[in-house]
Amino acid sequence: MEIEKKYLFRMLYVCLAASVLAGVLVHVFMPSHAAFLWQAIPGFSAIYGFVGCILIIVVSKALGHHWLQREEDYYD
Amino acid sequence: MIEWMHPGLIFILGALLIPVLKGKWKKTYLLLLPIAALIDLLYMSKGVFWRLPLLEYELVFGRVDQLSLVFGYVFVIAAFCMTLYALHVKEDGQHVSAFLYVGSTLGVVFAGDLFTLYLFWEVMAFSSLFLIWYRKTKASSEAGFRYILVHIFGGICLLAGIILHLQSTGSIVFDSFNWGTGWGYLSSYFIFVGFIINAAVPPLHAWLSDAYPEATVTGAVFLTAFTTKSAIYVLIRGFPGVEILIWMGAIMAVYGVIYAVLENDIRRVLAYHIISQVGYMVAGVGIGTWMALNGSTAHAFCHIFYKALLFMGAGVVIEMTGRSKFTELSGLYKYMPLTFWLYMIGAFSISGFPLFNGFVSKTMVVESAALSHLPIIWLMLEGASIGTFLSIGLKVPYLTWFGKKEKEPVVEAKAVKEPPKNMLAAMGITAFLCVFIGMYPQALYRMLPYAVDYAPYTASHVIGMSQLLLFTFVAFWLLRRMLHGTPTITLDTDWFYRIAGKKFIWFCEKPLLDFANSIDKVPKDIANSFVWFSRNPTAASRIMVLTIGAVVVRPFDPTSTRYERDLEELRRLYPGESVHRVAIGTGVLLVLMFFTLYLLIYLTHGILWV
Repeated sequence: MEIEKKYLFRMLYVCLAASVLAGVLVHVFMPSHAAFLWQAIPGFSAIYGFVGCILIIVVSKALGHHWLQREEDYYD
Repeated sequence: MIEWMHPGLIFILGALLIPVLKGKWKKTYLLLLPIAALIDLLYMSKGVFWRLPLLEYELVFGRVDQLSLVFGYVFVIAAFCMTLYALHVKEDGQHVSAFLYVGSTLGVVFAGDLFTLYLFWEVMAFSSLFLIWYRKTKASSEAGFRYILVHIFGGICLLAGIILHLQSTGSIVFDSFNWGTGWGYLSSYFIFVGFIINAAVPPLHAWLSDAYPEATVTGAVFLTAFTTKSAIYVLIRGFPGVEILIWMGAIMAVYGVIYAVLENDIRRVLAYHIISQVGYMVAGVGIGTWMALNGSTAHAFCHIFYKALLFMGAGVVIEMTGRSKFTELSGLYKYMPLTFWLYMIGAFSISGFPLFNGFVSKTMVVESAALSHLPIIWLMLEGASIGTFLSIGLKVPYLTWFGKKEKEPVVEAKAVKEPPKNMLAAMGITAFLCVFIGMYPQALYRMLPYAVDYAPYTASHVIGMSQLLLFTFVAFWLLRRMLHGTPTITLDTDWFYRIAGKKFIWFCEKPLLDFANSIDKVPKDIANSFVWFSRNPTAASRIMVLTIGAVVVRPFDPTSTRYERDLEELRRLYPGESVHRVAIGTGVLLVLMFFTLYLLIYLTHGILWV
């Protein structure tokens, strides 16, 4: 299981690198019309995915703890 | 000869025979009905069929065009997969209500006028209710009541809108409605509210996340497809390009994502992601370009399959372990790997991985937002994709099939294993359809209502989506400890009718009732005083006179107690002797006086009045 996990993570790193590299290559060699400003940034999707995911987790959890989450028998 | 058979009628009439059949025959029959409906659909020509005159109006049961056909296809194919999934269910009632539900949804899809639409709309609400109630728990019965109350309210809004629309235009044809601001559009507003309640647009969405997770294992799979997607269909028909829908849709997409992060129940997470995914479709209807409407239709088509697949996977977990909360689940991979992989196909599809069907439809809506220059909407929709993969693709499988090492499989002693063959087969077929459409999107694009000028598999689309989802995984892995389930529930807008409702009942029972009683008391007191007076009018009058006398005298002679003493005595004796006795002669005298008076009038009236 440990070896498998190590192997999987190595594969993940390869995929991450490959996607970013491919993104940069496409950005350089096949420039397409950018509808928005940020689409001109190479690897914007990667940044957005990472930051967006952290934001979603942190903001949701904060909302939950301070406001929305209650005991299971709240309505009983 | 019947020129055209309504596919909804195949389900509705077909459902009546289900309780009669037994064993293998019943199972075969259940599977044959959707196939028959699909063949019927495939041979259907476009046009308007089944017009029935009603009073001075014309009901149209069969308006067949490209838009209604796409929805018809997907509903019938999905119905087949879902029926296969539910094939082992013994209770006929569940099958009957599911078939009525499917049939009435098809009725909505092919309805060409507003009366027919309303009719099937209501049947849809009531038949689906039983898919919740058949769970037979206290929670499901209560959630079912709340579900139907919301839908009755939605139905009333729709009916009110239809009547107003009929009054102002004199027509019941179901086409796109006028839209603008002002009282003149009141009928459109009512119809709009009726539609968006079924589309689960916040704040009118809580019925979905409240009731679907309480439905039966197989019933929930049916519920995921029909109500919300038929609402998308009627929105495309009735309100294409209505701008407010863009914002509603984008907010929905994000709203569902946030709640899904907080939820502890596997099917509640999935339910919030129905809201999130329907958000894309609603936004697409609002954008209203051909590409956006195509995108909404395509996304509804794809969504039905992957969401059914996800609910099937979650249903298997509940069926085999009897548990649905993340705090009570973990490590199931050992016991049901096949279910896990089939579930993951659904998860990859909903997240929009390239080669899965979500990718070919979701990106269409997102791209149309870009083409219409809506930067914030674009960011919200793209961000919702992150949250979708986070909850459906990572959180749910991580907490259900893998989970914490220190807490080894929390499962019952009874052997947890793969589900019955029919459930696996249904998941297999649905998963195949997800991948097939993902790899061969032309099959779907050809069916769409408008000509498709969109290529999903461009380098920038594929790489952008891959980056987005891969880096979502990195963030998830870093923060995975924050996502463990907590034994809590999350407040949503159903709070308003669950808590405020209780308070309202209390208000009715306490303050309102007290007020009503006090109002009641006044006429009662008046009536009582008349009763008291009439017991002995003479004595009563004396009491009243003496009371007034006492009040009048007191200021002049405070020491006098004459009146008080008399009053006390009178009150004590009241009503006392009811009549004052007088000598009989007095009575005779009164009679004589009366006759004399009469005689005088009789003799003089000629002189006085003529």
